[in-house]
Amino acid sequence: MAETKANENKSVLDGLARNPITLGILIGVLAAFVQGLLISAGGPEAYGFCVACHTRDVVNDAVNSIAGTKLAIAPISQNAILPVLTVIGVLIGAFISAKVYKEFKTKTGSSISYIWYLLGGLFFMAFALFMGGCPYRIALRVGYGDVVAFIGLLAIIAGVLIGIKIASAMAEREG
Amino acid sequence: MAAVGWLSKDVAVIAVPIVTILLGILIGWLGQRSGFCSIGGFRDFFMFRHTRLLYGYLALIGGAFIGYFVFWMITPLAFEHFFWYLTSGLTPVPGAPAGLLVAGYIILATIGGIAVGLIGVLLGGCPLRQLVMTSEGNVKALVFVVGMCIGAVMFTAWLSGWVVALMKGLGIA
Repeated sequence: MAETKANENKSVLDGLARNPITLGILIGVLAAFVQGLLISAGGPEAYGFCVACHTRDVVNDAVNSIAGTKLAIAPISQNAILPVLTVIGVLIGAFISAKVYKEFKTKTGSSISYIWYLLGGLFFMAFALFMGGCPYRIALRVGYGDVVAFIGLLAIIAGVLIGIKIASAMAEREG
Repeated sequence: MAAVGWLSKDVAVIAVPIVTILLGILIGWLGQRSGFCSIGGFRDFFMFRHTRLLYGYLALIGGAFIGYFVFWMITPLAFEHFFWYLTSGLTPVPGAPAGLLVAGYIILATIGGIAVGLIGVLLGGCPLRQLVMTSEGNVKALVFVVGMCIGAVMFTAWLSGWVVALMKGLGIA
């Protein structure tokens, strides 16, 4: 009896973990919490979670240490003993989860696909930084009341629609 | 005037890497369980009317607003410019290249957003999804992340300066 109860609890928790709404609310609330906790170290505001900006901070900080350059990073990462490590955390957390649930599986692609993904990542990063954040920081900024971020969000939706058109045109030509 | 949070500056500068890596591990774990993806949410909705991922992203915007609002009520000094539009007007939250006019920021957000949505759809996911797929053993996603790292350095070292100079030349900065 106790065991079925424990199993039920476990499946409820697992259901919550698998529901994207759980993570959505958590990212939003915790990003706000982290700002309250750490903002004394430096700005900008609405910076709790951003894949593009936080990757930039880690990479530029590493390049600065190795090559002695002075590539710009966000004040919070500049002032702290180490830059924001959210992105490293995501890689670790997802790896542990994939291992625990036996979902880790090496998947390779063709050489051509690697070139596309390399260029895709490069341009994605550049355009995201021009916008002032990836879709995650855009969401935080919209929640923070930034009108330009809302325009960015509408532009992302337009980009998705264009992407769908291109993808289906390509699929039709091949099919 | 610098914003003041719950930790003093001396403590916060040490806490930054620790707190952010723990936050990242939690997001990575749940991101792997749920397949969370911002761009995938819009894609699935427009292509198949699936709302599962879209609701996750909308919950993120709602959660952020509620979180900022509640914590701002508790400690306004840590959320100096909340609600941004009411305190700072149309000038965006710092992050994009500094020193442009509002029109310049709107142009950058529009072009940047379209490109981000387009690339995300064609290559199967937003940057969080790419990080999670990297940790699941997907080599293409790993190459995407490497591309992001190169893009970050290129942006900071050259691209940002070029575009700001171009926009100043065109009179929109």
